[in-house]
Amino acid sequence: MNANEIYNQQYIPFIVRWGRRINWTAMALCFSPALVLAFVFDLVPPVSALATAFVAIASVVGVPWFVEPVSYFPIIGVAGTYMAFIAGNIGNLRIPCAMVAQKVAGVEPGTNEGSIIATLGIAVSIVVNTLILTAGVIAGAAVLQRLPQEVTAALQFLLPALFGAIFAQFAAQRLKLSPLVLIICIALVLLGKSGLMPRWFGSISTLLAVALSIGLAVVMYKKGVLK
Amino acid sequence: MEQNYLEIANSLWMWLASGAAVAMVMIEAFVFAKKSYSTGLEIGLSQEQMRGAVKSSVITAIGPAIVVLSAMIALLVSLGGPISWMRLSFIGSAMYEMMAASFGASAVGVTIGSDPMTGVAFASAVWTMTLGSLGWIIVATLSADKMDRVQKKLSGSDAKLMGVVASGAILAAFGATSAVHLTALNKNTVACIAGGVVMLVLNRIADSRNIKWLREWALFFALIGGMMAAVLWPF
Repeated sequence: MNANEIYNQQYIPFIVRWGRRINWTAMALCFSPALVLAFVFDLVPPVSALATAFVAIASVVGVPWFVEPVSYFPIIGVAGTYMAFIAGNIGNLRIPCAMVAQKVAGVEPGTNEGSIIATLGIAVSIVVNTLILTAGVIAGAAVLQRLPQEVTAALQFLLPALFGAIFAQFAAQRLKLSPLVLIICIALVLLGKSGLMPRWFGSISTLLAVALSIGLAVVMYKKGVLK
Repeated sequence: MEQNYLEIANSLWMWLASGAAVAMVMIEAFVFAKKSYSTGLEIGLSQEQMRGAVKSSVITAIGPAIVVLSAMIALLVSLGGPISWMRLSFIGSAMYEMMAASFGASAVGVTIGSDPMTGVAFASAVWTMTLGSLGWIIVATLSADKMDRVQKKLSGSDAKLMGVVASGAILAAFGATSAVHLTALNKNTVACIAGGVVMLVLNRIADSRNIKWLREWALFFALIGGMMAAVLWPF
């Protein structure tokens, strides 16, 4: 078997088989706190209230349910998709770890090697994140609220810095494509802010940016502008 | 007299119930990491490459994980330890959880933060956070292998085209989130630009002199640089 056959005929089927099993089990188990409240503590909210709350939250995240798995798939691949959509924190934690891991290992996104390294990176980020949260919840709010004010003030700028850094890392590798993508993204944000667009526009603007950018990249590649 | 909801929220039962879901996330990470490592060796990745990937991922995860931690502390106050811990180890986007919790509680007439929380409002918040996140799990789990087939069919056997598609997607995903901060024209803009500049400079030094540790730490330093620039920015 050559490397490509091992990847496509052994690795991917394994990931799909176990990804499904574990994700469906995880989905069932995520109900256990709600069921404990109902059966152990006899706390059951009225069905009508739940229906109201569900409609409210679905009206906000209903579009992202479909848009996010599609937008992130080209970046994180099959294994990454199974993991990221039960572990969350995709843009702020999973993808940055996958990207840095690929850079350090010297592999390209979109290749078999790149996807394996990204999977390792995402898995490690899940372990680190869970350990830090566990330590934090044991240490308790009392200890953590004593963090100096300067630190908490600085932390709110971590995500903007993170997004800028990851964009810059890839922009440097694709100097012809990246300025155009950034212009598209800024235009979409300004369009969303202008008030000319319906409210749901904001929730699909990332998908639009991804679709336009992939389209542009493919056209540039076919014309020989990108290598 | 009803039992105080925080005693229920922090009870051993809730820890066990929350732990079960968190355990599945960890198990999947271990199963996939083990398989990826062994497959990586079979298809010609070196142990050194994979160790580097693991190490750099640990370093990179620390900063963002602390931000997630600070979001958990915000939830902790009104929802107790186990649920806050589980929700942020699970689907966990802090914004989503807070919104879902407040929709759930307000559906039974309690405003989180101003009204005293009741047991039923707590249960309603937990149900809403759970139900509202199902969509992501269902769509992602049903579609992952199908999207893989579609992508392979579209790009044929052209491995380079796959790379071009992936970098187009990455640039757009991070371009879109950066654009929000860039157009805000406040300290977030400073953090975003400074983070990018530090990352570029460090990567260039690491590549030209082939310094491996600097590649592993580049993003960590870019985050520190971005945060410091924003805090020190005089306007």
